[in-house]
Amino acid sequence: MSAPPNSAARLRIDTVAKTFGGKAGPVEALRSVTLDVAAGEFLAVVGPSGCGKSTLLQIVAGLMPASSGRVVLDATAVTAPPADVVYLFQQYSKSLFPWLTVEANVMFGLRQRAANGDARARCRHYLDMVGLAGFAAHYPWQLSGGMQQRVAIARALAAEPRALLMDEPFSSVDALTRLDLQALILDLWTKNRLTVMLVTHDVDEAVFLADRVAVLTPRPGVISEIVETGLPRPRDAVVTREDPRFLKVRHHLLEKLLARPDDVRR
Amino acid sequence: MSAARFASLAPGLAFIALVLAFLEVAVDRNWVKAVLIPAPSDTAVVLWNIIWSGAFADPVGDTLGLLFAGYGIACVLGVVLGVLMGYFRGVYNLLEPLAEVLRTIPKPVLLPPLMLFLGLGFPMKIFIVALAGVFPVLINTMQAVRSIDPVLIDTARTFGRGTGAILWRVMLPASAPLILAGMRVSLGFALVLVILSEMLAGSGGLGQLLSDMQKTFLVRETFAWLTIIAVVGFALTAMFDWIERRIAFWSRSAVE
Repeated sequence: MSAPPNSAARLRIDTVAKTFGGKAGPVEALRSVTLDVAAGEFLAVVGPSGCGKSTLLQIVAGLMPASSGRVVLDATAVTAPPADVVYLFQQYSKSLFPWLTVEANVMFGLRQRAANGDARARCRHYLDMVGLAGFAAHYPWQLSGGMQQRVAIARALAAEPRALLMDEPFSSVDALTRLDLQALILDLWTKNRLTVMLVTHDVDEAVFLADRVAVLTPRPGVISEIVETGLPRPRDAVVTREDPRFLKVRHHLLEKLLARPDDVRR
Repeated sequence: MSAARFASLAPGLAFIALVLAFLEVAVDRNWVKAVLIPAPSDTAVVLWNIIWSGAFADPVGDTLGLLFAGYGIACVLGVVLGVLMGYFRGVYNLLEPLAEVLRTIPKPVLLPPLMLFLGLGFPMKIFIVALAGVFPVLINTMQAVRSIDPVLIDTARTFGRGTGAILWRVMLPASAPLILAGMRVSLGFALVLVILSEMLAGSGGLGQLLSDMQKTFLVRETFAWLTIIAVVGFALTAMFDWIERRIAFWSRSAVE
């Protein structure tokens, strides 16, 4: 790989399509999705449930092959999960290993086997970073949902990734914890040079976190628009959300997403 | 033992004592004949002599040796085959029909043909004990591997783990609670086949001893050895509980 270690990765999604073969005939989940994520950029993809955004992220992560098109990480085509890309699942409680302590879970993220003492020190460092310094010896199921997702974040960071893929990472925690974790992710993204691709149905979250927001419309999933948020950083959980520019982008995106003619909730 | 634990055990222990006391009285009053069922006190004297003289050691050793050999093979084979059948579709398609046929046969009916085929020695006994024990482990392991949440596997994949590491570090521990539940059932099956094969093809062990005593109307000895078998079974179960608590401690707590 040409890029130096510990630098953010550049991600190119090149005319990716995905069709699932179902019993009731093939289902076209994604049609010709093309997206460029610059090194160090925070990109969000918003869309309603079932628009194929999780499918897109799984293809980017190398967990699922595309039907056509390709994903390129720096200069390498993604065919299997790349070593320096980490995926943060929505279901943190299923993604953490319940038979391992918090520390051992984070240890699982370490890319190469470090000496035992060294590995522990690194785990403590990342646990400290997510505010769980005193919980190394706990088991995940002894922690609250928000704390469990923090463990998952610490484990992701321990892998020292160059890109972080997040699939609705905060949708199963309560509203206040969500704000907390969003601030944590922004903080970590600023400290560690990372490229982030976030998939969410929460427009608010997408605008608050991202540099750019891509809108994915369903059946078949296509990128219908990409919006630059243009909000200054650092962003604040309260103040940024009152910024007229924030409200303007949010207004535009919500209108776009709610005005779908085939919206079944209408 | 804590006071609370003792309080929960006390009624059950008292009840056993009551049953034994009733039996003692029943034999004493000649309600039942002592040649058929000995008084617990008489059995206790014989039992005491067996223990004191150390005579229990060899038969118990023979039986446990056979049990551990056969049961050990059953556990290892069951887990290995179960993981492979659960994970690889091809292995499943190859072995599932055979497993389905063999598993439904009551294992004791295989003893007579096996005695013809493999003889009366140790290999035949190990074979039948392993065969009786393998299926609960195999079936449970297969089910456990198949029901693992894909998120858990995908997590390991995104951290760059290969198939070997996923099998060993994710699938095996994630399946451990169900595998252990299968092993618990297997332990019971294996113990039955150990005793039975010793009775039918004796060359030592508690099974042969018991069948010899019964044939020669040594009733008190029979009951004394029965007690020893019961204690062995109880000890094995207690040991299993202890191991299970240490390995599968997370399974009940982790399920919300």
